[in-house]
Amino acid sequence: MTLIRTVKPIISIMLSAVFMLTTISSVSARTSMVGTHEVIAEQQVSVDRESLKKMLGDQDVQNKLATMGVSPEQVEQRINSLTPSELASFNSQLNTAPSGAGVVGIIVLFLLVFILTDALCVTNIFNFVHCVR
Amino acid sequence: MLLLCACAGQSTYMPAQSVLQQLPSTTYVEQVNFYPQDDYQCGPASLAMLLSQRRFADTPESLKGRVYLPQRQGSLQVEMVAAAREHGLLVYPLNKSLLALLREVAAGNAVLVMQNLGFNWMPQWHYAVVVGYDLNTQEIIVHSGTQKAQREPFSLFMRLWNRSERWAVIALPADQLPASAEPLAYLRAASDLEQSRQLDAAKRAYTTALNAWPEQAAARFGLGNVAWTQNQPEQAVAQFRTLVSDFPTLKAGWNNLAVALTAVGCTQAARQAEACANGMPVQTAPPLPKADPLSCEIPACP
Repeated sequence: MTLIRTVKPIISIMLSAVFMLTTISSVSARTSMVGTHEVIAEQQVSVDRESLKKMLGDQDVQNKLATMGVSPEQVEQRINSLTPSELASFNSQLNTAPSGAGVVGIIVLFLLVFILTDALCVTNIFNFVHCVR
Repeated sequence: MLLLCACAGQSTYMPAQSVLQQLPSTTYVEQVNFYPQDDYQCGPASLAMLLSQRRFADTPESLKGRVYLPQRQGSLQVEMVAAAREHGLLVYPLNKSLLALLREVAAGNAVLVMQNLGFNWMPQWHYAVVVGYDLNTQEIIVHSGTQKAQREPFSLFMRLWNRSERWAVIALPADQLPASAEPLAYLRAASDLEQSRQLDAAKRAYTTALNAWPEQAAARFGLGNVAWTQNQPEQAVAQFRTLVSDFPTLKAGWNNLAVALTAVGCTQAARQAEACANGMPVQTAPPLPKADPLSCEIPACP
């Protein structure tokens, strides 16, 4: 434990140095054209994220979440930390969901399946939830 | 998860009645030639049928070398798509819903679908071309195998289609918009044309997108990139200049403007655009030996 404590600040300094270096180089090194597909991919991520958040705005969804003891802020935080591929898979699941069922049921179902079961380490679809074990 | 799937009722794929009422109750796309398949060769046959709608004279025989893998006795999806793209067609993947499929057929676009005629654990993949439907009898009309205009009940069709994860594409001229088009999916299909060097088709597709969704930055972005690849730096500058004044916060736009400006000799303006791309305040640039001509003018950073 003490070892971890002494090593932790060193690691964090190293990581921030690496982070800073990579950001700086990505800002100044680019002198070539950005591909159209890169811009589209970037925009897809923000569209996916926004559409998921918009569903959270639904009052019924919020009520349902409240009864499960999950606050909208918690979920929004989790959505923010989803990677692009996780977001894409989440949204494609939503797209293929049965059209007759109410939107509330679908969202809560997916939240249940992806967030809560993931928290129990039943599935391993998304990596943003820390397992309780 | 298993339980949940088992509970999902049978007709969950059916679009809402109110949506279906907006579609014609029966449709049949006439302009699709029927080519019966030879052994295992549903790939070349289906592709030939799809292309025939766009007046290409390819036959299953002529496409066999392009998309049929003799060792695997089949055709890969990616090859089918690439082959259609080589004809300058925009290949648009449908959003995996029955409604999207019906809407495309109603709009007169034949749909290439993949089905699994076997089981999940022993798949038998199959390509077919959806050419019609009948909402009264709940049937899909499909050119499949050796059967012309075969009628498959929705329930059967969906079972076979579900097992391929509902893979479906249409191939259409780049100046037409799919009936079920969504902006980013369409733009991605256009950029696939650009990346596979179908530049004229890509240009037409981006123009189509720009007209349909002026709020999408990627459309003009693509036009700029196509001009650049086609060795027309002045046109690229013009596109990117309009782009940054329409979408000043898009840094990639400023970046590409900077690159294009450098190529046409607008050194000072390029430097300014680069500063905008990096989100830095514009410093008073040191005077250059040769000032930019007036035509180099660009908008100010956001």
